Amino acid sequence: MTLWRHELRLLLRQRPSAFALVLLALLSVAAVATGMAEVARQRAAIAAIPAAQAEDIGAVADYVDRTKDAGSAAYYSFHPTWDAPAPLAFAALGMRDVAPYMLRVRALGLEAQIQDGDIFNPQIALAGRFDFAFVLVFLAPLFVIALFHDLVSGEREAGRQRTLDALPRGGAALWRRRTGLRLVLLWATLGLPFAVAALAEGVAFGVVLLVLGAILAYLLFWIALAALVGRLRWTSVANAATLAAAWLVLVLIVPTLGHVVIDRLVPVGQGAEIALAQREVVNHAWDIPRAATMRRFYAAHPEWSDSPPLGADFHYKWYLAFHQNGDEAVAPRARAYRAALERRDRAGRALGWLLPSVGVQALLTRLARTDLAAQLAYQDRIRAFHARLRSFYYDYVFHDRPFGRADFGRAPRFDDRAEARRQSTSRAIG
Amino acid sequence: MRIVRLIARDELRLMLRNRVALIAFALILLLTGAAVASSWSHQRAIAERRARHQHAAERAFDAQPDRHPHRMVHYGHFLFRPLGPLAAFDPGVDAFTGNSMFLEGHRQNTANFGDVRQSSLLIRFGQLTPAFVLQIVAPLLLVFLGFGSLARETERGTLRLLMLQGASRRQLVAGKLLALGAVALAAAAPAMLGLLLIAGQPGALALPMLTIALGYGLYLGLWVVLILLVSAVVRRSRDALLVLVALWAVTSVLLPRAVPDLAGGAVPLRNRLQTEVAIARDLRRMGDSHDPDDPHFTRFRQALLDRHRVERVEDLPFNYKGLLALEGERLSAALFDLYAAQSFAAQARQNAMVDAAGLLSPAIALRGLSMAAAGTDFAAHRRFLEQAEAYRYALVQRLNRMQAEAVTYADDSATDAGADRRKRIGAAHWQALPDFRFVAPTGATLARAALPGLAMLGLWLVAASALLGWATRRLGAGR
Repeated sequence: MTLWRHELRLLLRQRPSAFALVLLALLSVAAVATGMAEVARQRAAIAAIPAAQAEDIGAVADYVDRTKDAGSAAYYSFHPTWDAPAPLAFAALGMRDVAPYMLRVRALGLEAQIQDGDIFNPQIALAGRFDFAFVLVFLAPLFVIALFHDLVSGEREAGRQRTLDALPRGGAALWRRRTGLRLVLLWATLGLPFAVAALAEGVAFGVVLLVLGAILAYLLFWIALAALVGRLRWTSVANAATLAAAWLVLVLIVPTLGHVVIDRLVPVGQGAEIALAQREVVNHAWDIPRAATMRRFYAAHPEWSDSPPLGADFHYKWYLAFHQNGDEAVAPRARAYRAALERRDRAGRALGWLLPSVGVQALLTRLARTDLAAQLAYQDRIRAFHARLRSFYYDYVFHDRPFGRADFGRAPRFDDRAEARRQSTSRAIG
Repeated sequence: MRIVRLIARDELRLMLRNRVALIAFALILLLTGAAVASSWSHQRAIAERRARHQHAAERAFDAQPDRHPHRMVHYGHFLFRPLGPLAAFDPGVDAFTGNSMFLEGHRQNTANFGDVRQSSLLIRFGQLTPAFVLQIVAPLLLVFLGFGSLARETERGTLRLLMLQGASRRQLVAGKLLALGAVALAAAAPAMLGLLLIAGQPGALALPMLTIALGYGLYLGLWVVLILLVSAVVRRSRDALLVLVALWAVTSVLLPRAVPDLAGGAVPLRNRLQTEVAIARDLRRMGDSHDPDDPHFTRFRQALLDRHRVERVEDLPFNYKGLLALEGERLSAALFDLYAAQSFAAQARQNAMVDAAGLLSPAIALRGLSMAAAGTDFAAHRRFLEQAEAYRYALVQRLNRMQAEAVTYADDSATDAGADRRKRIGAAHWQALPDFRFVAPTGATLARAALPGLAMLGLWLVAASALLGWATRRLGAGR
């Protein structure tokens, strides 16, 4: 134990090393704090939905209550959905800055609504988030390099190597102690702020352990690389330059090259084409016999076909029917678009098996549910909720039931947890 | 001057003998080549695709059959943001903003389908563009090649030897500057060549390109001076390397990420849901066209009736419903503009905070300058959004006017079997509507937007040079 304490004293007496550890600790704490602040902002924005929604829907109710027209209620009522951040989201904000975590939908065509975004500053998003994942993936390796590049070569340059080699078993225990000490210190400076924040955010204990394991593994990769370079018996300067160049290649250059290659190899049809196609189908309904629209709709949804026939007047059931026809006409395209996005995402993750930087980022965003899969799962929840909205309003519109003020309170409410449960059961059945 | 050249040639010869340095240099040339090629083909593919989509949307709009004008208000129009040729050098925020927009009446939609939501997670690691290579990678290469240029001479005692042979400190530093400067020029050459190729494209503007070339020149020159400064001040070359890598990591990786994050947190933006609810609230206060007793619309109707000296809206010389649509759109568009201006102002405040941090990090100053001159920054996106909204408003109001003038009130209110036919007006009306033409900013506008960044880089260079002058005078002292 005294030997360890002695090594610690030696390490901390080197001012650059002590400074590096303090700096890394500060960066970890700052990243964890900004991540928690961002997640708190997002939670506050979600918590503010009900008040805004009550005011908005109240005004629609005032208007609709005069006519009791269920179609107008369906047309004018926007219903909020949201995607609350997972407990671990603070550590890896992932796509939550560029993809919406709140979206209002109404019972009209969903394909024209589901791709809408929220307001964000693109110049801020371009820079990327300063979160724990960034400190770990981008910055931690630089600190490993600072602490390890001269582990052996420094002793050689100071003329102490031969003395150390003369220790029993070539001083293997000494190098193990020195490496272990540096590893533990780095792990603690990264892991402690993370673990404290994670437990405060209510992250499951197992997940905290998993992330701590990932931090350890990532540090070990860089330490192993430093040891490998150290075996070449170059000077400390050459070691530092080589390791910094390796960092540049592994963390910045290969991922950007990978992005270019994946974009080429895995084409994604333009989402805008879905929106264009859906609009054509929807608007075309005004130029064809209304009976044709209803026939097509009833063929796909016989449960509403007991509705009385259309008269000469405008009726919202026709309007809602052609909106749904529009969605269904582009459904194969929407599925293909989604599948292509998933393929691209898979290709990116596959690179993570080769590239630890990408692998750690992929793992953290997956665990934090801030990646593309989480985005798509949120879209699935929106789709499921939208389907419930449709059947709720259709029950009034297709059966010509009046829609009064009290009926607004009966509308389905989005509940992200329940929606997720429904999703997993339907997947289990399907 | 002869001595300076000799020292420079000697330094370059030493670099040439260093195989690792040569490989690194060759790699950066390859990387820049790959960046220029992929970025250029990417930009051209995007520009071509968006132009194609835009034409398709225009054709679809013109091909619409006879309709009630209000149906066209809801049929709406799609706009695709055009991408200028300089985006091949620095695409800026292009991938991070939606690039297509659906325009319709009484609603302001978001720009959708940004590449960032259609890409793998790798896009958040950075994009391989000439700008990225020059901003991030090139300085590190210069660090590797230059960190020892002066520290090595001090460390090994060769500094004295050189001075004994009659070289002054100034000549020595000037020679090393010349050598590393030549390396910097060579490293930047492929990217600048790419810029020249882009210059051959139609629509590429000379002034912004000169600004970009000047900006990157200042930036790399600044790194050359900084490297020599650290190499002169720090005694051991290993420490020089560590200090320079740390400086690079802080100014090029850490600050460009941390500062925007802080700015984003300091100036909150109102989200879309709250904006929509607020607009709906304001609209109800200004005038609710759904409410038959609404004071604003009652006054509006009465003023019309008085002006035309009639008793009923049916007797007006035009379709009252069309006028109502015009008035409703006028009110809602004014609110859209108001809220958009507030949001833009908040985002501009965020960006101003980031720009000010150019005083802490030359990479931030350069990034702002580069995007501004390339026309791919927030201001450029805003320009598109504002022009799109202006076009949306003009289009919807033209259609509303058609409803007021070409559809009679009696037909518009009729519900008999033939009413649908009588409400429709000829398709020629849509074909006569003007298409969206994005008004690109002039070269002077873009260059002017890049001036603050340029000034900041100039300041950095002056300060670093002054420090280097001071360090030169002290070079080798106390040894």
